[in-house]
Amino acid sequence: MLELIGLTRRFGSVTAVDHVSLSIPNGQMVGIIGRSGAGKSTLLRLINRLIDPTAGRIVFAGQDITALKGKALRDWRTNCAMIFQQFNLVQRLDVLTNVLMGLLNHRSTLLSLFKLFSAEERALAIRTLDRFDLAGAALQRADTLSGGQQQRVAIARALMQKPRLLLADEPIASLDPRNGKVVMDALRKINREDGLTVLCNLHTLDTARHYCDRIVAMRAGQVVFDGVPAHLTASMVRDIYGMSEEELDQAETVTSTAIASVASPLAA
Amino acid sequence: MISESELAALRAAHPRVFRRTAAERRKLALAWACFCGGVALGLWRILPPWEAFVAGLTKLGFLVGFMIPPTHGGHLGQMLHGLGETLAMAFLGTLFAAVAAVPLGFLGARNVLPVRPLHFGLRRLFDGLRGIDSLIWAIVFVAAVGMGPFAGILALAVPDAGTLAKLFAEAIENVEKRQVEGIEAAGANGLERARFGILPQVLPVLLSHVLYFFESNTRSASILGVVGAGGIGLQLAERIRLDDWQEVAFIILLILVTVAVIDLVSGWLRRRVIAA
Amino acid sequence: MSVLGVVLFSIAFFATAVIGQVDPARVAAGLPNIIDYAYRTLPEISARQPFTDIAEWFWAIDIWLLLILDSVLMGFIGTLAGAGAAIAFCFHASANLAPNRLSFWIARRGFELARTVPELVFALIFVFAFGPGPFAGVLAIAIHSAGALGKLFAEVNENVDPRQIEALAATGAGWSETMRFAVLPQVLPNFLSYGLLRFEINVRAASVLGIVGAGGIGEELYLVVRRFLYSDISAIVLLIVITVSLIDIVCERFRHALIEAGPARPTR
Ligand SMILES: Nc1ncnc2c1ncn2[C@@H]1O[C@H](COP(=O)(O)OP(=O)(O)O)[C@@H](O)[C@H]1O
Ligand SMILES: [Mg+2]
Repeated sequence: MLELIGLTRRFGSVTAVDHVSLSIPNGQMVGIIGRSGAGKSTLLRLINRLIDPTAGRIVFAGQDITALKGKALRDWRTNCAMIFQQFNLVQRLDVLTNVLMGLLNHRSTLLSLFKLFSAEERALAIRTLDRFDLAGAALQRADTLSGGQQQRVAIARALMQKPRLLLADEPIASLDPRNGKVVMDALRKINREDGLTVLCNLHTLDTARHYCDRIVAMRAGQVVFDGVPAHLTASMVRDIYGMSEEELDQAETVTSTAIASVASPLAA
Repeated sequence: MISESELAALRAAHPRVFRRTAAERRKLALAWACFCGGVALGLWRILPPWEAFVAGLTKLGFLVGFMIPPTHGGHLGQMLHGLGETLAMAFLGTLFAAVAAVPLGFLGARNVLPVRPLHFGLRRLFDGLRGIDSLIWAIVFVAAVGMGPFAGILALAVPDAGTLAKLFAEAIENVEKRQVEGIEAAGANGLERARFGILPQVLPVLLSHVLYFFESNTRSASILGVVGAGGIGLQLAERIRLDDWQEVAFIILLILVTVAVIDLVSGWLRRRVIAA
Repeated sequence: MSVLGVVLFSIAFFATAVIGQVDPARVAAGLPNIIDYAYRTLPEISARQPFTDIAEWFWAIDIWLLLILDSVLMGFIGTLAGAGAAIAFCFHASANLAPNRLSFWIARRGFELARTVPELVFALIFVFAFGPGPFAGVLAIAIHSAGALGKLFAEVNENVDPRQIEALAATGAGWSETMRFAVLPQVLPNFLSYGLLRFEINVRAASVLGIVGAGGIGEELYLVVRRFLYSDISAIVLLIVITVSLIDIVCERFRHALIEAGPARPTR
């Protein structure tokens, strides 16, 4: 159970995240939607503690996360893996090493600095890559892969952390519809198979409707909707985005409509 | 976590993930052997005996202690004179180099004098001049024209003339052709073409290079005195010979301050030249 | 402005001419001396027995080559040690990477000091402490190189892609691991290129440090100049120029290869 209590973050005069209180049970797949600048990324970065909150608290499984430091903070970060819009792989390293990066906090720093990884660790990395059909690319440099492949490598890296929580910040915003679908399917797969809680910022409403158990909508840093996709009515959408869902579809790139057409119906 | 059998299967399926190929290992071993061999050879030729090393380190510790506090010991006037000489050497050395480099650069540029052998010969001459360090030029010029700042000026000017001429020639080769053609169309002769067609285009680049060389020459000029070519370096070497470490420290500080100030001024001028 | 500039320039010119003891009479007297000196250093090579004469000219070639080898080794070890120190502390000296303000300040000032004090000054002091020999020279080269390279490396570090760093921090990796795996792969080609450039410079430096007793060919050169062994001067200078040019050419090859090194290279 992840609990956010009155979580707030200000940047100067801008309040990016404004008194957000949420409680997310384990194993849920949550889609966070809202216009650009609504505070979605800031919220995820607050949870991972890449930035510090101005006020409020984060509690996970009864442990207060808000003020962790040093080793405890790094352990928390390992516990809640992150996926980024631009994949953020180390471009000049090979895929295998990128995936092994997920283990850094679990092992001796000295061994890591000399890039000494054991056979078990390598096997684990290969097995994880294999789940996303990428074992064959293990020795290729990350920058030789397509965007969709890179994002799946990033997911493999995240899984190596053995996290309890997966935070994904617009994971498919830089991908074409086909690859977007592959990545979203991968996220749902680990949500279902590994029982991981997934928090996923999404820029398209229909993707969120398709994939998520629960939708949280943000506007100007505040949560303005929190519930199952079916309860998200047309008037609420107009309220969140300042336009109707049809207008939204038109305004968005083909990505959103296209993904709906290729997305398989939600597996029961 | 991973069973023995699964590990074996993964190893068989992806051997290169677990171990480099024999060829890769051989190449890597060879590279490391070469590198380590070079380092070992270097250390063998260079490292002093252990006792000398320890003794030196102890002595160094004492020296640093002796340096505190830095004082000028009543020789401030003499030191400032040496510093003035250093600056004068840097200034005139750079100036003479630049003055000599302008015609040399024009002659060495392919688009000005399209005579291949001449061009090639000049370029090799520039390389030869700058291939010899100014400290070597300094001992040669001290032997030729006697001790003092004049030898230092020549020692700075000669190698820099080579480098600047090379840079100038390259800058001239990169000028816009259209402007030069415009001047030619107006019926200019060769010299006028160089003066009005090429010079305005390359002047900012040249000036910026020259200022940069002035900065670096201030550093070089501060040590040429060690071989008798004028400037503060002579006094520094003397103080070290005389074991006068407080004054050594003072002179080093003087050099640091001067270099920093010259860097600031010249950096400011360079930005203005580039902006203009 | 330009009038003021001309006036200032003229003042500077006459003042420095006086201080620098440039008087036309001395220039006129010095010029023939210089030409005479240059003429004397030319070897006597007759058409009758050119090879014997050349062999005569380079009569001590075995000693000189060994000393030149020493100079090259001094440059090599000095560059290596300097680059090692520069790599160790350049992350502290980058504004975007330094773990705290204090280590940033110390690293910056340390590099500045090491860079600004001329090599020869360090060499003079080390010769006094450790006695004459190449060790003093290597130490001087290493310290100066650490300062010069440290500054350049820190500048390279300040232009790295921050997203790759953030991704590693988000996995729970520590500071040193983040530098090793998110920053180093990005900057290493630049580091190598600067290191090679420095090696070229250092071989030049090593060939003159002998003048103050810090080992290498410089000592021999200074000796023959002071003993007016004219043809030896030209022979040694020629050997230095050839060695330095050879090293320049080889290093330039390497640097071009580094710049052109494309993607798709497994880095394990
Ligand atoms: N590091 C930062 N410094 C200043 N302002 C920021 C920073 N990060 C985010 N903001 C501001 O916070 C608000 C929310 O940004 P963000 O969380 O990135 O929104 P979203 O991800 O929903 O598009 C925006 O107004 C943005 O300008
Ligand atoms: Mg965002």
